[in-house]
Amino acid sequence: MNRAATNFAVTATLVVLGGFLWILATTPRADAIPAFSRKYQTSCSTCHSNYPELNDFGEAFKKNGFKFPKDDDQFVKEPPVLLGAKAQKEAFPKALYPGEIPGSVPIGFRYSGNFNWNAKQPAPLQAAGFTPQTDLFVPNTLTIISAGSFGQNFAFWIDDDISAGGTGAGGGLGDGYLRYNDIGHIFKLPLNSLNVRFGQFELDLPFSQARTIYPSGYDIYGETAVAQPSPVAGQTVFQTTNNPFILGTPQRGIEFGGYPNNGNFTWSIALVDGTNSNYGLGQSIFARNTKDVYIRVSQRFNLERDPVSRKEVQAAGPTGPRDHTSIRLGGFYYAGTNELNYGGSQFGFLGVISEPFYRAGGDVRFKYRNLELFGLGMVGHDNNHSVDTNAMTITTAPAVTFTGGFAGANYWVYPWLIGYMRYDFVNSPTDFANAVSQYRTRNRFSPGFQILVRANIKVIGEYQYHWGMPYVDPTTNNTLYFRPNSFVGGIDYVF
Amino acid sequence: MNRTLKVMAIVLLAGFGFPMVSRAGDIKGKVTAQGIKSPENIAVYLDAVAGKKFDASADHVVVDQKKMTFVPHVTVVQQGTTVDFLNSDPVGHNVYWPSISGNKKLAHNLGTWPQGQKKPFQFMDLGAASLLCNVHPEMSGYVVVVPTPYFAVTDKDGNYTIKNVPPGHYTILTWSEEGKATTTPVDVTAATTTVDITVKK
Repeated sequence: MNRAATNFAVTATLVVLGGFLWILATTPRADAIPAFSRKYQTSCSTCHSNYPELNDFGEAFKKNGFKFPKDDDQFVKEPPVLLGAKAQKEAFPKALYPGEIPGSVPIGFRYSGNFNWNAKQPAPLQAAGFTPQTDLFVPNTLTIISAGSFGQNFAFWIDDDISAGGTGAGGGLGDGYLRYNDIGHIFKLPLNSLNVRFGQFELDLPFSQARTIYPSGYDIYGETAVAQPSPVAGQTVFQTTNNPFILGTPQRGIEFGGYPNNGNFTWSIALVDGTNSNYGLGQSIFARNTKDVYIRVSQRFNLERDPVSRKEVQAAGPTGPRDHTSIRLGGFYYAGTNELNYGGSQFGFLGVISEPFYRAGGDVRFKYRNLELFGLGMVGHDNNHSVDTNAMTITTAPAVTFTGGFAGANYWVYPWLIGYMRYDFVNSPTDFANAVSQYRTRNRFSPGFQILVRANIKVIGEYQYHWGMPYVDPTTNNTLYFRPNSFVGGIDYVF
Repeated sequence: MNRTLKVMAIVLLAGFGFPMVSRAGDIKGKVTAQGIKSPENIAVYLDAVAGKKFDASADHVVVDQKKMTFVPHVTVVQQGTTVDFLNSDPVGHNVYWPSISGNKKLAHNLGTWPQGQKKPFQFMDLGAASLLCNVHPEMSGYVVVVPTPYFAVTDKDGNYTIKNVPPGHYTILTWSEEGKATTTPVDVTAATTTVDITVKK
């Protein structure tokens, strides 16, 4: 980290901290609360250790279809609207089966706006796309979130970025799904062993990208498989792999899953479109006929010594309930088949080119008191072909592969002050060949902090020490390297 | 005759003397709130009396945690009384207070206990303890520790009754979550004494 970057990062941190102290001193107590808080008249911290990250109770709440794990009725302060008396169940099928909807519209809003400091771009890179050194409150995102339950069996979630701006901000529907809880009871399975949801949703990833606490995403989740750099004049032989699939974006499909063994074991199988296409909304450049499959299993080993505490939703700490000391191990596998050249769009002499691919990995998460350690490793593999436009032939080519992952630690200095460090890495021979990075492995270090000014208001700061990106100096024709390091600081609040 | 008159005088004096033994009276009244949300849950109690010692009852008082609220919201106990903190909820709770009337040296955390169990604590220091739960920060309650066994908590209309107060001169104090403390002198007789108080923000 160079001196100028260090000085600026320190100054920016002091500005952010100064703002935080001012807010603490002058802002009246925030009583505004999002949908679940309103329903149960409870603070965000009941379910969130650092929103949107869930504590043990929050995970149990989510797994139970957004209801309290035990005796939910006792805690609901906002009674639902009954869509039929409960006795109507006996009249079914001659009457509509009774249900219920939340007593008030369960809508919450989330706003996040960041201040960015970026390392100064070399002039040759500015011509390709200028990035200012500082930018105030970008991306600037307002998200509407609605979630809850329709009675015992149904749960729903919808979130949408309804306005966004700036580089890297996306608008549009995130998750939008309906879930049937505990369909397994029909087959006499244990509670919550089998649930089903359908719609658009983030896959059951080991670490959520959509609901991460970090301002930056996980690099490996955003990795795509591209074999061929931009074509050069006169080129007649092309590598075909060009798979836009990104693990971290929401998928449309259906998912079966469950949380038997008190939620310590989780499993899911999803059948999804997989293409992240904008089918139905515009030019469908990524749609394909094939469907993809995603499988995940994980086992949490509860390391609490007290057997009574182990069985409770939260462990009994000396100063109050806390998350269990635990280690969670998991694995995931995603398989699909990318299809190219529909209607001979790229190579008129060929039909559809099918290229099976997979992503596979493992993850670990360890929790102990105020410390959380986590990590994920993944391998990607895409079949590849070589097309000779002169000979009008297609042959099998070496697969496009990559590996990568991340590791990190979060530490709660106080319930309101969290420090973290994260390391992301991606090793992609084809990306290296396509001049994406200085070395075959791209590394990024991201230390940061988060301050919960109130249960629903955060101030964040993160420095990103980036891998080197090559560029050509036009005057000397030498290849130089630029690290687009950055500091992101911002505000985030929900209500 | 003189002897008869003497006997009659003794009987009459005894008859007059018997009702003159001190009989406890009640203090009742209404607390009016000015500038605060409600006159409910205001502690009304008698200050310590010089030269008089009152032993705390051996009976425990129960404060429950039910549906993520402290029940009752305000509990008044005499100094030396033991309070049992019960967890009736099927979720984890704990009880702690960061100070008693601002004295942080008297902070205490009772830890965590499961549904159906209770933890006792004997309050030996005068003042108000703000009850909190560190998992559910919206939960709030109070234990107000007072020097005498003569106290009451106002109802939703601000009414209170302190029963069985021996006749004498006392000082009535109030404690309110949102309002300032008040001090009111009162002379208690065998009959019911009415004292109305105004608590201001």
